[in-house]
Amino acid sequence: MATTTLTPAATAYRSGLYEWLTTTDHKKIGILYLVNSFLFFFIGGIFALLVRTELAQPGLQILHDELLYNQLFTMHGTVMIFLFIIPVLVGFGNYVVPLQIGAPDMAFPRINALSFWMLPLGGILLLLGFVTGGTAQAGWTSYAPLSEDRINGLASSGPGQDLWLMALLLIGTSSILGGINFLVTIFKMRAPGMTMFRMPILVWTVLVTSVLVVMATPVLTSALIMLFIDRNYGGHFFDPSTGGNAILWQNVFWFYSHPAVYIMVLPAMGMISEILPVFSRKPLFGYKAFVFATAGIGALGFSVWAHHMFTTGHVFLPFFSLMTFLIAVPTGVKMFNWIFTLFRGKLTFSTPLLFALGFLSMFLIGGINGAFSAAVPVDFALQDTYWVVAHLHYVLFGGSVFGVMAGLYYWFPKMTGRMLNETLGKTQFVLMFVGFNMTFFPMHQLGLAGMPRRIADYASNMGWNDLNLLATVGGFMIASSMIPLLWNIFLSLRAGKPAGDDPWEANTLEWATTSPPPPYNFDRLPEIRSERPLFDLRHGRTSH
Amino acid sequence: MSTTPRNRPSAYAIVGWLLAAAVLVGLAVLVALNASSVWNSFFPPEAKSVQGQAIRNLYDIVFAIAVVIFLIVEGLIVWTVIRYRRKPGDDELPPQTHGNNLAEVTWTLIPTAIVIFMFVISLQTLNSVDATSAHPNLKVRAVAGQFQWSFDYLPETATATDTTKPLFTVNVPVGPDGGLVLPAGQTTHLFLRSPDVIHAFYVPQFLFKRDVVPHLVGEADNEFDLDIPAGDAGQTYRGQCAELCGIGHRVMLFEVHILAPADFAAWQQKQIAAANATPPPAPSGAAAGPTIPLVAKNVKFDQASLTAPAAGFTIHYDNQDVGTPHDFVILDNTGAKVYGSPVVTGPKTADFAVPAIPAGTYKFECSIHPTSMFGTLTVQ
Repeated sequence: MATTTLTPAATAYRSGLYEWLTTTDHKKIGILYLVNSFLFFFIGGIFALLVRTELAQPGLQILHDELLYNQLFTMHGTVMIFLFIIPVLVGFGNYVVPLQIGAPDMAFPRINALSFWMLPLGGILLLLGFVTGGTAQAGWTSYAPLSEDRINGLASSGPGQDLWLMALLLIGTSSILGGINFLVTIFKMRAPGMTMFRMPILVWTVLVTSVLVVMATPVLTSALIMLFIDRNYGGHFFDPSTGGNAILWQNVFWFYSHPAVYIMVLPAMGMISEILPVFSRKPLFGYKAFVFATAGIGALGFSVWAHHMFTTGHVFLPFFSLMTFLIAVPTGVKMFNWIFTLFRGKLTFSTPLLFALGFLSMFLIGGINGAFSAAVPVDFALQDTYWVVAHLHYVLFGGSVFGVMAGLYYWFPKMTGRMLNETLGKTQFVLMFVGFNMTFFPMHQLGLAGMPRRIADYASNMGWNDLNLLATVGGFMIASSMIPLLWNIFLSLRAGKPAGDDPWEANTLEWATTSPPPPYNFDRLPEIRSERPLFDLRHGRTSH
Repeated sequence: MSTTPRNRPSAYAIVGWLLAAAVLVGLAVLVALNASSVWNSFFPPEAKSVQGQAIRNLYDIVFAIAVVIFLIVEGLIVWTVIRYRRKPGDDELPPQTHGNNLAEVTWTLIPTAIVIFMFVISLQTLNSVDATSAHPNLKVRAVAGQFQWSFDYLPETATATDTTKPLFTVNVPVGPDGGLVLPAGQTTHLFLRSPDVIHAFYVPQFLFKRDVVPHLVGEADNEFDLDIPAGDAGQTYRGQCAELCGIGHRVMLFEVHILAPADFAAWQQKQIAAANATPPPAPSGAAAGPTIPLVAKNVKFDQASLTAPAAGFTIHYDNQDVGTPHDFVILDNTGAKVYGSPVVTGPKTADFAVPAIPAGTYKFECSIHPTSMFGTLTVQ
């Protein structure tokens, strides 16, 4: 690629740090994405623990300043969504997609580096609010006019909300650049023989996700700019007291942020669709149906945004209710495809499979409890209660985060050349699975009992005490599951068992090269005659 | 580290499994001890409005379908996982099934039929919940401002865009003398209005919430009907704002009191009489110089600068923000308070007689909303 000639001396003086800061190698950038995302995962997790600790018992115990409480849940949501789940999946995509399609790198390596470096900058801007008089505190959804500054001076008058807007603008721009990069890479850089219907499912899900990113993120970007103008230059977009429309913000915000749910879950679905076949030694059941279901979710994903707004009284309810019910169908198709991939397979319960099974069983709950909110009158009862918090965490934690962990255990040997320890991995899985259900399952019951979201305290006679305490204990159990993970990574990097090229007997091209792969990825590629070129190489082609 | 995975369960694993087992056993014991209250916790509270009962019926159907689907699919996952373990040393490949069109069509069509069924019953319930009576017994406007509820009892002719004065207003949202008082066995039509940010009217016992959306004057409020069953007189329910509205969001509580129709009529007459008995704001300080009008609207003053004589003057204060308290304070250039008026909760007018103050430039503001309501006062 680069045609600049470097003198040997210049090469020799490149330190490791310099190399990481200036790299345009998709694998290194992928790892940077992962490290950065996990850093923000821990930051967002600490915010969540503070919130859960405050809610463990009635009364204000640790966060006497309720503005700080509002800042913490606002930052928890923003960090987890925009700085953890979305970028961690981009990180896996960055590392794995070029390898899986047999490409030497992403189509635009420098833009790739630019996309990444906007993220830590955005994250720093976002959190700077803590030292400039308070971060944004209107929730991660930042509903106008609460997020406008001229309302009573009580909510969002400091620079925190503006920092939130700037941070999201940067992160959004990073997403758009990344999405374009993925699209061009997938369309133009596939190895000979890699037809569209021979692409690994992960590549398909990243493709559909990138279409969503490129189509939806500009809408969020314009919403952010409009709110910024409102706040700083006397615009009148969202503030009814100056002639604006409060519901307009929700429409433009959710037009991005609902597809964003699929941006946060489709690549995780792609990852477990790589893992389930490998550990059951079977091909994915219904490959084409799975591809069409993914595309279907992507298309329907643009027609359901207003189901976040059923109680606003400004939505044509039957349409959005119908579309929300319908989007359950392609999701259900995928669920059955996964189960029938396992069916009559020969399952090896390595850690990646455990987390993938965690995804299946928890995402199932997140899908089913979504049907309650699709039934509009039931949503009237549940909206903005802890039920919604339970639902979104079953989708984004039970789904996406379990998928991310599955992917981490699965691809870590490829990235580092070292295996992770299975015992520590399984310990982490058990702690996380039990802790997750302890934290979020009781929230269904709290929501039904009428506990609203986003409150720092509640009266002790509401009957909410026990369930809140249980959820807090579960939250700390989730946090404790990070200890075996970090210890595992530390031990493995220091002296882990060498992985070899293909420790899992996997199917896709990334396992045809060394672990870690060389900078140019492949010395030579095997013949690609199906979606499982390595399986064909190992066993000969069985049936197609 | 030279551990070979799977052979040597480490201390972490043992601790992890023990912890998990302890938690599961603990939960099982808790569940066994309170089986009926655990079962009830999967349902909303008993519905106390006709609309809420319709929602509860729908919830029960959705819940039943959800439980059946959950048990079938989760059971299938667990059974598959247990049944198809790879035996040690088994290197034979399982059958390489790539798909089955009949199965895939089946598991597309059956879920489609289920969700369309759920959509249809939801729509039917929605139509009954959203239906409004042409002749409700009562019209009330719930006004939600940061961070307090008040309830305007309106004349029969009131509409969703109405700005005429209510018959009377209940300003205290909680307690025996306040709250939203509704007649049992009758239909109340509610309007929701906010002078500032979005709030939400939520009463768990009604299984219902609706956002209180601020809008331009002349745009329609959100509105809905509540039919209270005749047998519920004497009941009190707790309501709460359900949409984050700022630092006081959590304390935006209100109560709903249900009275028998006769008691309600008596209560209403008493309230109307009390409202009419309130003397109009006395034009005090009429002698003290000129009268200067000042309008507080949408949490803003209509004027950024005022000019007044040093010998004293009267501010004719018109607070047009429904349910929002404002006042009028004059500060000198050190920030010290020169004059402070009583608080006026809108919509209401009042005349404030400001005594003689030295000539100079002052700041005036609403001390409740100082960042958005302020201006310059020039005293000559």
